[in-house]
Amino acid sequence: MRRFYLLLTAFFVIVQLVWIGVPIMMAVLWSLVDPQYPWSFPHLFPQRLAPAPWIYVFKYTNIIKALKTSYSIAPFAVALSFLISLPTAYVLGRKNIPGKKLFNLVVLLPIIMPGMVVALFLSRVFTAFRLSQTFIGLVLAHTLMGLPYMLRVLTTSFQTIPQDVIDAAENLGAGTFVKIKDIFLPMVRPGLLAGMIFAFTTSIEEFNLTFIIGTPTFETIPTILFSFMGYNFIRTNAAVVALVMMTPNIVMLFIVERFLKSDYLSASLGKM
Amino acid sequence: MKNDKASPMHYLMILPGVGFIILFLGSSIFLTVCQSFGLFSITGKSSFTLDNWKVIATQEARDSVFFSLKMGLLSSVGTILFTFPVALFLRKGGGGKRFLGSLIKIPLFIPALVAAFLIVNLISYHGIVNEALMKLGLLKEPLRMLNDRFGWGVIVIQIWKNLPFVLLIVMASLAGVRDDTVDAARNLGAGTWQVLINIYIPLTMPGILVSMILMFIKAFGDFPITSIAGPIYPSSISFRMHATATLYQEWDQAAVLGVIIIATALFVIWAYSRLAEFVQGEIR
Repeated sequence: MRRFYLLLTAFFVIVQLVWIGVPIMMAVLWSLVDPQYPWSFPHLFPQRLAPAPWIYVFKYTNIIKALKTSYSIAPFAVALSFLISLPTAYVLGRKNIPGKKLFNLVVLLPIIMPGMVVALFLSRVFTAFRLSQTFIGLVLAHTLMGLPYMLRVLTTSFQTIPQDVIDAAENLGAGTFVKIKDIFLPMVRPGLLAGMIFAFTTSIEEFNLTFIIGTPTFETIPTILFSFMGYNFIRTNAAVVALVMMTPNIVMLFIVERFLKSDYLSASLGKM
Repeated sequence: MKNDKASPMHYLMILPGVGFIILFLGSSIFLTVCQSFGLFSITGKSSFTLDNWKVIATQEARDSVFFSLKMGLLSSVGTILFTFPVALFLRKGGGGKRFLGSLIKIPLFIPALVAAFLIVNLISYHGIVNEALMKLGLLKEPLRMLNDRFGWGVIVIQIWKNLPFVLLIVMASLAGVRDDTVDAARNLGAGTWQVLINIYIPLTMPGILVSMILMFIKAFGDFPITSIAGPIYPSSISFRMHATATLYQEWDQAAVLGVIIIATALFVIWAYSRLAEFVQGEIR
């Protein structure tokens, strides 16, 4: 019986390696196709590999600008969602106020509501307030999408702070500021890291809102990839951008696996 | 917990987080609903009217709605069918399972657009999947899996991308099934199939339902994946809404489509909470 399970595991691993590995490998291969030897139909592998597509994309497209835009919006969005979430998560995690269930549902709405609808009509609202096509508008939009994750994770973190610790501190005369500095902030730190990572990746990957509110003034990695896949479908360019977009995420994956329990994700999303 | 009495201070502290969401989401949804009825219209005259709703009931719009419903349903059902066996298998840890677990989770961190591109590469008409199947003699001519009328390309991408996400939720649910329960059933003579149907599935129903709901809404309202890999006709409802607004500049009609999308999402959530209560009742 053990033998059987071992074989089954090996089988699943191979299936997974193919399932995940082949798509990624194809993208890597496509990003290295020598333009003088285009890779087409009968050949199973590209005839010659060259870094030419990478050089082309980085030299002649807006990818560097898109990278800068993506990675400058994200930190602001994360910081803003953190600041906004702190007081709310504290109350939702530790206090029993009427309407709590409703508030918890509202917190999840940005994830549940279909993206393009919100994007299209929020852009109208933004246009009315002159926020359309602005950096601030994009930061606000990305914050909106990151808030659910940040709030859920921080709420769970606040929930787990033992009341005795707080009582003890109050007994010793700690004021609010000291409580925040020495109890709350340190104890939510692991949750904070998780929330920051989720909010950060959400911002980097954000497409619908950025596409409607930011284009054409601002290009981010997702919007530039989308443009490469539509009208201008040049497979090699798209492959390069796809890999560029993917790598920081995979790095994050390892960080998350290393330093956080994966229960965090399922816990924050599964408890609905 | 002491200090449980709600004070105005608490509501003030909730304001930043919850208020932010209500402000931006709420204004967007409010505008969608209003414009569908002709109010706050940008094209000059604003008056309450049902004309937009009548205009939108064209064959094209109906086709889009059904197409998106189909995408939502098949994507969520398909993913669960793939995920559940894997979740069951991974339930008992050990061996190379941790490695397997990490491998499986990779698409979770791959953005939707990248996933779309990766799969598009594989399933194109002369792509590697078709070539391999033909070499193996299973196909005489390549399958059209991309931009096909039915929408298989989209479904494959959705399953590939969302499998780890659903897996995490189902595994969390599955972890709540105690081994004693399974052992007790086995002791009473239940076969593997019966254990599956009478124990595993009912007890993990909450997790299954949650993930199916989320997947349905995402696949139903999807824009980027369907525009890349989906058929030219019918377009997804989000794509049609976007085109109606930006291409034809008929924002009010687009708003109608938007309301349909929002209403469907809300209905699905409501149906889920009803279903969840029913399932919980059955388990007792």
